[in-house]
Amino acid sequence: MTRFEFRILFGVLFLGMALSCSQKTNEEIDRWDPIAILVAEWPEKSVDQIDFANIPFKNLSDYGFFKGEVMALAPSERVLPYSPASSLFTDYAFKSRFIWMPKGEAATISPDEEGTLDFPDQTILIKNFYYPLDFARPEGPKRIIETRLMVKQNGAWEAYPYIWNDEQSDASYKVVGAEKTVQWKDAAGETQVINYLVPNKNQCKSCHNANEVMVPLGVKAKHLNHTIAFSEGASNQLVKWASEGILNGFDHPEAYPNMVDYFDTKEPLELRAKAYLDINCAHCHRAEGPASTSGLFLNYEEKEPLKLGIFKTPVAAGFGAGSFKYAILPGKADESILTYRMETNIVGAAMPEIGRVTTHREGLDLIKTWINGMNVEAYN
Amino acid sequence: MKTQNFRKLYFWILPLAFLFYACSSSTTEISFDSSKLRKASQEEVEKVIEAFILAQDGDVIEIPEGFYNFKTQLILDNKKNIQIKGQGMDKTVFSFRELKTGGEGVKLVGNEILIQDLSIEDAPGDGVKSQHVDGMTFRRINVTWTNGDKSKNGTYAIYPVQCKNVLIDECIASHSKDAGIYVGQSENIIVKNSLAFGNVAGIEIENSDNAEVYGNTARDNAGGILVFNLPGLPKSDGKGTKIYDNNIIANNHVNFATPLGEDPNGNTVTMIPPGSGIILLAAKDVEVYNNRIHKNKTVGIAISNYHITGFPMDAPNWSPYSSNVFVHGNDFKRTWRFPDLTKEFGQLISVYNAHGKGKTQDIIYDGFFDQSLAENILSNPMNICVQEAGIEKLHFTLFDLWEGEANIKASKDYRPFVCQSEVFTDVSHLTQK
Repeated sequence: MTRFEFRILFGVLFLGMALSCSQKTNEEIDRWDPIAILVAEWPEKSVDQIDFANIPFKNLSDYGFFKGEVMALAPSERVLPYSPASSLFTDYAFKSRFIWMPKGEAATISPDEEGTLDFPDQTILIKNFYYPLDFARPEGPKRIIETRLMVKQNGAWEAYPYIWNDEQSDASYKVVGAEKTVQWKDAAGETQVINYLVPNKNQCKSCHNANEVMVPLGVKAKHLNHTIAFSEGASNQLVKWASEGILNGFDHPEAYPNMVDYFDTKEPLELRAKAYLDINCAHCHRAEGPASTSGLFLNYEEKEPLKLGIFKTPVAAGFGAGSFKYAILPGKADESILTYRMETNIVGAAMPEIGRVTTHREGLDLIKTWINGMNVEAYN
Repeated sequence: MKTQNFRKLYFWILPLAFLFYACSSSTTEISFDSSKLRKASQEEVEKVIEAFILAQDGDVIEIPEGFYNFKTQLILDNKKNIQIKGQGMDKTVFSFRELKTGGEGVKLVGNEILIQDLSIEDAPGDGVKSQHVDGMTFRRINVTWTNGDKSKNGTYAIYPVQCKNVLIDECIASHSKDAGIYVGQSENIIVKNSLAFGNVAGIEIENSDNAEVYGNTARDNAGGILVFNLPGLPKSDGKGTKIYDNNIIANNHVNFATPLGEDPNGNTVTMIPPGSGIILLAAKDVEVYNNRIHKNKTVGIAISNYHITGFPMDAPNWSPYSSNVFVHGNDFKRTWRFPDLTKEFGQLISVYNAHGKGKTQDIIYDGFFDQSLAENILSNPMNICVQEAGIEKLHFTLFDLWEGEANIKASKDYRPFVCQSEVFTDVSHLTQK
């Protein structure tokens, strides 16, 4: 064989190898196409009749939470939608949330400053994560990624993650998590593509954790004490729950705490920023949460500057501290660890630790505006 | 022909590379090569994840030999009496190189948990973290990072925090960007017969009570063994640490906690000067004895107060002062190497010590003290005791930094600190494990 021939042969081999590699990569990427959707109906089932001893069921359709066309996620009777005033950022996913309690049972609001709710056994919380294909048409075609259930039995909550199939006809129970390539057109009309990460079952408790006991997060009076649309018309959620008979001893909305919607620009900046930090960070960053180790407490009720991060040095932040000294340096958002960790996507530095692979630009802007507006003198 | 040339080159590069590394004091030494292990299949990997998720009280999770590539965290959620067992640290390897979310590779919560005979590699955050565990044993585990570029390494290798009754035995922790073995906000602790190398800090006890650190080797870190108390934490202060029978050798590694040339950030560890054997910072009730403290180019033992950091010191139930420290019977050997000039603390020691510029120090005391207790440090108000044979030949420096950089004073006079003290620890119940 001449040298020339050898080179050609080698070149062809190399090309072949390169091609086979790129083909493999293509296969690995989850290329979901709306064509895959099979229009299906939920089976006729009543959530009132499920056997709690057999939870978790294999499929989401085994519970009877929804009726009619599958993708509409229309709740069955006594499955009530709810929505917290401020919501956790999860890579721009849309969420629809529902609660169900067994007939004749009701929750009770605790007299603490958050209005923590005590739920009866067999309460189920249902949270769907989905992406409209076009964010300009949120009610239009969508892709549902996962449904997370929290079920209370024998006084203890447990989380059960369900991952939706490509046909969008049902979701099945999977404990080890998953990775999905998700694509959508954002409000500005630009195509966004991310690798959405479905957490594994035990990662649920990375957030749903108070003193190592699993707890729900969004269902506290402070998150629910505002008006949303129900099929029968708009109502304050707590009022609605009381009238549905699933809330004990309810007085009137003013008797309970409430938190603002961080997107509501009519509210004071300070409250919006603290609402953002509460729902996005304070599940861990509170005295009862896993990030108590840091001494950084970001719950809505926290008032002590040092605990909120003002002139607070990190403890175990590692490279998460970037090149900065303090969690919050008043007046200098770009020199604060808090905003650095909200902005970066480097695993191990990005905060929250799970639930996002992208930066929440709008949330980051809010916190930066808040920090930049702080008066340094006030803390010296 | 080509291969032979390459081999020749290799023959020359190896010693050159070795020299280069020896000079620049950075190491990527590996304890063994995990790439030669059998790769576990996807099913085997998922089986381990499920074993953690579905674990019931009393389970023994046995993991066969192999290299396990995890893309998700391994979390044990509040279970009792769990044993996680590999086939040996060079046989069962968990790699978290491809972990895409979450802080630590392995997270353990519960009571009476044992993890042994395996390796954990390349977690983006911490290697193995245990939190709120009463009865946590790490035995013969090796936690490391295999990146050539150490700036990509994670924070802590072995990281128990808010735990009780912690035993770390015969473990290896290397190449952490912070501390290799870090025990934080915990009580009743033994760290023994372990090896920490190539980390920024080898072994660190922070805001913890009742700890004994013995029989370990801390070498080639920027700082060998640290006892710190930081302000503003739920466990506000810690006391009672004994450090004895350790080899604390050549901790001259570059401090890579921040990128080269960048100033320290708010993490205290970023200020550690390369060449530090033992550093006490706002430490209470610490006894340091019978250690071999050799060839640490900047300082053998530094006794310091939180003032040295320049950070705010206003925190409840916490004191910035180191107090009741007893240093005795240690074996010091200095090195010919020039002490550190890359960190402010290093510059202070190198330039302003009482024995002459560029002289390695054996023991330094930064000289801050609680002025409500005494007017003058010569009465030894913080009860800092040093009893070393041949102390007159050691390089001891007492600084006076009250007037700041403008007027740094240093004295060789060790006499006010020649005294004995007592430090109480009791971890005998942990030695039965």
